[in-house]
Amino acid sequence: MGSRRAFLAGLAALATPLPSWADAGNPRWLACAREADGGHALFGLDASGADTFRLALPARGHAGAAHPSRPEAVVFARRPGAWALVLDCGSGALLRQLTPPEGMQFNGHGAFTEDGTRLYTVEQRASDSQGFLGLWDSEYRRIGQIETGGIGPHEVLRLPGDVFAVANGGIATDPSDRTKLNLPDMAPSLVYLESDRIAEQVALPADLHFNSIRHLAHAEGTLAFAMQWEGDPAMTVPLLGLHRRGAAPVLAEAPDPEQALMQGYAGSVAVSGAEVAITSPRGGRMHRFSLTGAFLGATTRADVCGLAPCEGGFLTTDGGGGILRVEGGTARPLGLRPRAWDNHVVTL
Amino acid sequence: MRLAPAVLALTLVAAPALADVDAVLDDHVLPGTAAFAQATQALDDQAIDFCQPQDLAPLWNSAMDAWVRIGHLRLGPGEQAALTIAFWPDERSAGRRTLARMIAAQDPMGVHIDEFPQVSAAARGLYALETLLYDPDFNDYEPDSYSCTLVSVMAHDLAAQAAALDEAWREKFAPELRTAGQPGNATFLSMAEAERALFTALHGGVEFDADQRLGQPMGTEDRPRPQRAENWRSGRSLRNLTLSLESLHGMATALAGQPVDAVDSAFDAAAYFSLAITDPAFQDVSDPQGRLHLESLQGRVRTIGEELISEIGTSMGIAPGFNALDGD
Repeated sequence: MGSRRAFLAGLAALATPLPSWADAGNPRWLACAREADGGHALFGLDASGADTFRLALPARGHAGAAHPSRPEAVVFARRPGAWALVLDCGSGALLRQLTPPEGMQFNGHGAFTEDGTRLYTVEQRASDSQGFLGLWDSEYRRIGQIETGGIGPHEVLRLPGDVFAVANGGIATDPSDRTKLNLPDMAPSLVYLESDRIAEQVALPADLHFNSIRHLAHAEGTLAFAMQWEGDPAMTVPLLGLHRRGAAPVLAEAPDPEQALMQGYAGSVAVSGAEVAITSPRGGRMHRFSLTGAFLGATTRADVCGLAPCEGGFLTTDGGGGILRVEGGTARPLGLRPRAWDNHVVTL
Repeated sequence: MRLAPAVLALTLVAAPALADVDAVLDDHVLPGTAAFAQATQALDDQAIDFCQPQDLAPLWNSAMDAWVRIGHLRLGPGEQAALTIAFWPDERSAGRRTLARMIAAQDPMGVHIDEFPQVSAAARGLYALETLLYDPDFNDYEPDSYSCTLVSVMAHDLAAQAAALDEAWREKFAPELRTAGQPGNATFLSMAEAERALFTALHGGVEFDADQRLGQPMGTEDRPRPQRAENWRSGRSLRNLTLSLESLHGMATALAGQPVDAVDSAFDAAAYFSLAITDPAFQDVSDPQGRLHLESLQGRVRTIGEELISEIGTSMGIAPGFNALDGD
């Protein structure tokens, strides 16, 4: 009896193969955008930068998390986020709408475990901006939450072995908008979570405590973190940090006056091969560095923010609709779309 | 120093009308960068033989005039150049402090033509020269002194930067703007992007005049900051503002391809209000009447910015930068 049922179930599975990213046109990247009519959508992009799918969104998205095997994307609202949508990128169906528990807010980013059985969502407690990761099972049911050990966490990144790195931005914000409440006392940090416990915590030197750690990228044991300066705008400070477990972070910057042109703001970070890059939409430029922090060069592009690794370099997207490939600092346009690409490009 | 505010990155929201990129380049940008290169070369030529304030002040003023006419072109080669040619505002007096330290230590970098470009941006360019030529703590130096050589080297460095700026515009960046949207142009993927870049510089220039040239000395009502006025020691604060607005008006007309009534009226109103300013160095900002005149003028300059957006920017499909303003 039991074996017959199992056999039939097995047949059914063969007859209707599990959905995969092939059903969504095998995108390499996901990115949110505002379209010419003012509406918002999520796009899949293939290796040449062409659209593989478009799914309408109810409001502006910020970043997303892609399921490692199922063609499912979790799109997070901008801060302070009241929703995240789980979308089937193959069929276009809205699978789930996630809402944070009472008193919590999504902060724009999330990540799956390697096997896709768990989703971590970056959250803060509305009352005091204390940071948490929300835990959701493979059916997107809330199963718990863990502390990130800081205020105003922004991005979470999965590292090999299901270690999760979290950027605690350090900024407490008003729960109804983004008014910053605690700038004088900011204490951003970088934490590594292993088995849902803080295994290592990294802080910046005291004179850089106004440097909000917000975005993360990783390769070959180096965690790259991008920062946004909340201190005196007259000061020029590093906006990229490179960290290896157990060591002190290395801060990297371009020589003046190039560094000043970043306007104290890095919006995205990515690692590709032996290079790490950050983008500044305010400065309209991308900076590339070696993995040891040596400045390699600047590439200018208005309102550039979205950034991801690709063969031989980086993919960038911008608020003007451009998609460019930057190899060795030389940009080559892949396309110009009638839409404003949002802050981030998620790599599948 | 404070950079231009973040709103300057602008993105597409609607189908743009054509603006005249060639006219902006041929009538405004390239004549302006050439004039600046010429003016700084004249200063450099004089500073080889004569270094004292009375020898150089007129030529420094001509160079300053030429810069103010193009200082808003903070795109392409003008982005970096603006920081090392014109380090202002300098709220922490980094320029004076660096110069004082260099002079006290007789820093060899200050008198070595090849090494001078390595010194802090605050101690280079037009504003550092103003300190040495006009600041009583600095300008009392003898021929053949360290400061004398420093001035010569500084003038040479300025001329070299101006020549490089002019060449980069002519040889590289102007062609990129003209060929916007053509295959292989990775800087501007469409002609609309080139237009928006020029409009951003135009609008940013007007904002700089309101927020920095007027806003710096105005400070707050409780705490006016007369010593933060641009070029107050040389008494050029009002002149800079006037020349800048004249130049921006020319750029607006070139960009629109024709005079635009509402824009012309806004520039004319600002010019009229500037006639009420009695102190060319804005040092009367602490006096209620003086402050009132500056506030009124600042309001008129802000109106120019609004008219530029509604009369020229909107028809070009321009709105504030999507990501630049998001701040996340």
